[in-house]
Amino acid sequence: MMRLIESVGRFPREFLAYILDIIGLISIALEATRDLLEPKRRQIFLNLFVRQLYNTGVRALYINGMIAIFIGALLMSRLFDYIPHQVLSQQYGYLFVVIIFRELGPLISGIILIARSATAITSEIGFLRMTREFQVLHGLGISPVFMFLLPVFFSFPISLFLMFIYFDFVCILSAYVFIWLSDPGLSFYTFLFSILNQISWNEIAINAVKALLGGMMIGIISIHFGARDSDSFDDVSQSISDSTTSQLMAFFLINIVLSLLAYTQ
Amino acid sequence: MAVTVKDLRIEFPDKLVFEDVNLSLDDNEIVAIRTRVLDGGTSLLKGIAGFMNNVAGEVEYLGVNLLRNPPAHVLFKVGFVYENHGLISLYNVFQNIGLPLQFHTNFSIEEINERVDGVCRFLGIDEALYFLRPHRLNDVQTRMVNLARALVVEPGLLLIDELEGGMSDEMIRDTMNRLRERQQESPMAIVITTSNPIVMSTADRVFAIEDRKLVQRTDL
Repeated sequence: MMRLIESVGRFPREFLAYILDIIGLISIALEATRDLLEPKRRQIFLNLFVRQLYNTGVRALYINGMIAIFIGALLMSRLFDYIPHQVLSQQYGYLFVVIIFRELGPLISGIILIARSATAITSEIGFLRMTREFQVLHGLGISPVFMFLLPVFFSFPISLFLMFIYFDFVCILSAYVFIWLSDPGLSFYTFLFSILNQISWNEIAINAVKALLGGMMIGIISIHFGARDSDSFDDVSQSISDSTTSQLMAFFLINIVLSLLAYTQ
Repeated sequence: MAVTVKDLRIEFPDKLVFEDVNLSLDDNEIVAIRTRVLDGGTSLLKGIAGFMNNVAGEVEYLGVNLLRNPPAHVLFKVGFVYENHGLISLYNVFQNIGLPLQFHTNFSIEEINERVDGVCRFLGIDEALYFLRPHRLNDVQTRMVNLARALVVEPGLLLIDELEGGMSDEMIRDTMNRLRERQQESPMAIVITTSNPIVMSTADRVFAIEDRKLVQRTDL
């Protein structure tokens, strides 16, 4: 009986500890930004930040573009065929914004970020912990937070926002190409403006918040699980698995809550 | 005295490793600590460096107790040479050696490069290694790069963990002579854990770890 009570009680306690850890990591990341005031340290940070931005954003262009092509070609070109041409300019643009711009673009970009980059960060941090590199940095008077957390903290949200834009753009292009094959008379500008006219500043701001919060949480969670006690590769594998689950939960929750708050009429 | 260790006690949750460790070092002194397998030599050095939490006592260096929130500029003056790993895998050899200078000083890039190159030449680190990442180095090369990074900041206290593994007798002798030579240019106290007779014969004093304490020995 006591074991049952103990195991029931353990979950909220561990969950609370996890939330406090995440809050703690965010606060120490913000505190470490003070080091950026020093030009030499800022240069070290910029090198690491650019490296992270390249790994996270630029190297994801291929997979992000491929999925955007599939979605644009299949979903949006099929949808185009079902909409009467008389209402095309309003309805197609509206549906594109509701389906792709508001929901699918952010979700798929976030999933790509988690699958490609966040898992890599968790395993990298786990490996660095195994080889005691945090201790080495501490011995050199350098904060591991500055070297490893800060670049991720800033590059993930920026990468995610750029991935949203890229995804939407490729989706528009691929949808147009497939529609043009059956209807060569459709002008690209007509098609493009039918979509752009439907995108408000409010929607751009909501997407920016999704990228900012989502990217930051994905980055922080990946570091949190990577930096857990790990003495062997088994521990690192377990951390990657736990980290991915937590990131997906957090990212979907952020997206759903923001969409409900912003778009519920 | 450059460094004074008073009543040092290192304790893990399940084991007391050291107690009543007292040691004073002069500038330019080399103290060897004879270690055996798993007798805690690495923990002792890390304890002295202020890298561990479970340490009581005092390690006084430049009037600062390293065990109580050492300021970065003092910590930066304590060089530590790791037996394994010890390098930052994000950076190549040259960047690893220059990292503490880049982070803590206002030296220009040219000055940093000059210093790093100087210490590499001094230790005989081949230029071909400069742009290799740590995983490409063997154990001896890794330790020599660790040593170069520790020396580049001209530390007042240098802690070396088992430098000799994998080195020939000639290389050990040569490296110890270079450390002596370095002490003449830039005063520093050196504590080195070792099981090698050449290192012990080069040291000014030799201690052994016996019953969780340091005992000075003259017969080693």
